[in-house]
Amino acid sequence: MKTNTRMAAIAAACTLAFSASALAQAPAAPPPAWKQGISDKFKDSPLAPNAGKNTETAASDIPMDKLKVPKGFKVELWATGMPGGRAMARGDKGKIYMGTRGLGRVYEVTDAGDKRTSRVVIDKLTQPSGVAVQGSTLYVMAIDKVLRFDDIEGKPDVQPVDMTAKFNLPPEQHHNWKYLAFGPDKKLYVPFGAPCNICEPPKEYAQIRRYNPDGSGMEVIARGVRNTQGFDWHPKTGELWFTDHGRDWLGDDGPQDELNRMSKEGLNFGYPYCHAAGVVDPDVTKAENKATACKDVTKPVALMGPHAAVMGVKFYTGSMFPAEYKDSMFIARKGSWNRTNKFGYDVVNVRPGADGKSAKVTPFLTGFLDAKENKFSGRPAYILQMPDGALLVSDEQLGAIYRISYSGGEAKKK
Amino acid sequence: MLIAFFSSAAAAQGAAPAIADRLQACSDCHGPDGNSVTPGIPSLAAQPKVFVENVLVLTREGLRGNAVMQGLMKGITDREISALATHFAALPAKPSPGEPDKALIQKGRALSGKLRCGTCHLPNLRGREQMPRLAGQREEVLYAKMIAFRDKPPPGTDTIMNATLYGTTDADIKAMAHFLAHAR
Repeated sequence: MKTNTRMAAIAAACTLAFSASALAQAPAAPPPAWKQGISDKFKDSPLAPNAGKNTETAASDIPMDKLKVPKGFKVELWATGMPGGRAMARGDKGKIYMGTRGLGRVYEVTDAGDKRTSRVVIDKLTQPSGVAVQGSTLYVMAIDKVLRFDDIEGKPDVQPVDMTAKFNLPPEQHHNWKYLAFGPDKKLYVPFGAPCNICEPPKEYAQIRRYNPDGSGMEVIARGVRNTQGFDWHPKTGELWFTDHGRDWLGDDGPQDELNRMSKEGLNFGYPYCHAAGVVDPDVTKAENKATACKDVTKPVALMGPHAAVMGVKFYTGSMFPAEYKDSMFIARKGSWNRTNKFGYDVVNVRPGADGKSAKVTPFLTGFLDAKENKFSGRPAYILQMPDGALLVSDEQLGAIYRISYSGGEAKKK
Repeated sequence: MLIAFFSSAAAAQGAAPAIADRLQACSDCHGPDGNSVTPGIPSLAAQPKVFVENVLVLTREGLRGNAVMQGLMKGITDREISALATHFAALPAKPSPGEPDKALIQKGRALSGKLRCGTCHLPNLRGREQMPRLAGQREEVLYAKMIAFRDKPPPGTDTIMNATLYGTTDADIKAMAHFLAHAR
């Protein structure tokens, strides 16, 4: 098999162009450590990733009575029957497209006013989690495919245009299922995660890129990003804010997931040598580099919890919620597996400080986690703001969408 | 009320679905007690319920590339899938056939330890949730599956297996398959 050739090629490609002197450096000598990163300390640990749910969940099996939101808010079950549905993108005509991972489907959810229906737009794809809409045109990115459905809202049976060759996607799968979004500049922002838990990533990975919608004009705009699965642009500054999953197998309490702010292009956000607020990686950092592992690294604005699996980010720009929520973010945390006591399984509100260097994190939607039993029911993943200012929250585990609205002190009957 | 209208398959309430006919079809290949005696056909006995459910859902979705299985899964409901999975999870696993090679088992055990198979598949390698039972599975099935995970992971599967097996040689996988097949 091609292992030796491939490892040699990766070693040669591993130039780690973080610093200005990159071009002058010799390629790194040893091949990357494609390890799980589980040291002997954890060899008896029973922790393993949570099982997803590929089957439909009936509305009666969704524990709405356990969900909590702050006073004056209400959370309702808005749609069910989309197993694995996660990222949501809304077209001009109101159709909501949802990507999935393992099941390989993209759903289209229609709001008929008093109820929601859904259909499968396309299936049999390899983890088509990335969905983004421009007008009424849907872009879908699977790990190994890019498809464009022109005016799908007007033409439901439109056959997709295969854009894959134009995007020239690199081959690794791990952490390369996508979150996709169009920026205010109308370009398509695409992450390429590190294809490992901890390793020195080859040069095409552990980064965020931006493309023209036709796949041309590719630019790498951030490096040192292990696995981002959600981002949004600040309504006033236009800066990109993105979440990033911390590595596993360094213990229950860290390194924490991150919320980062991209104040300019070309920054290094730390992976693999420097995690969270300055945790030097013990596995890949050479002894002689430990003192400077976090030098020139852009630190997170907020730490989002240990192994929390931070996902979607949405800056609130609506008028339904109280004024204090304007320009704050809602961030979903799918919840942990690499931790003895589960953590996350919620949506938090995050308010950046005036200097943009810190942020206040407060719970917003909770109730999926039974801390006493150490069990979870659902896993909130992404947030979509509706035209009326209500928020939709997708639940990848239960294949459902919740709607969160605000009515102030008095309860309004619908 | 803002509750969605969902498909009739999920809405069905009442008695557990009758799966006797489907089980007969399973037995034809996978063995009457879920322990396969046919090379290339996996044993299903004592496989974790969620694992079997996932495989059957992915097969029905056409993601597994197995035309025979896909034909059998045509029209199967989620509830029938869960019933089949529950059935197989409860069956006792019989030892896999073949003579044990002590040296190869030793090598395979060491490699499985290094790759931390037991962290997810449990120290007794009997699996749980979405992670299959490895202990006692047919050796050539284990071998083929690990090669596939290393080189071209099938759609619908977790890429963690691809990451775990990265850099292993065919000889490594041969040893691990032999060790796992003979594990109890």
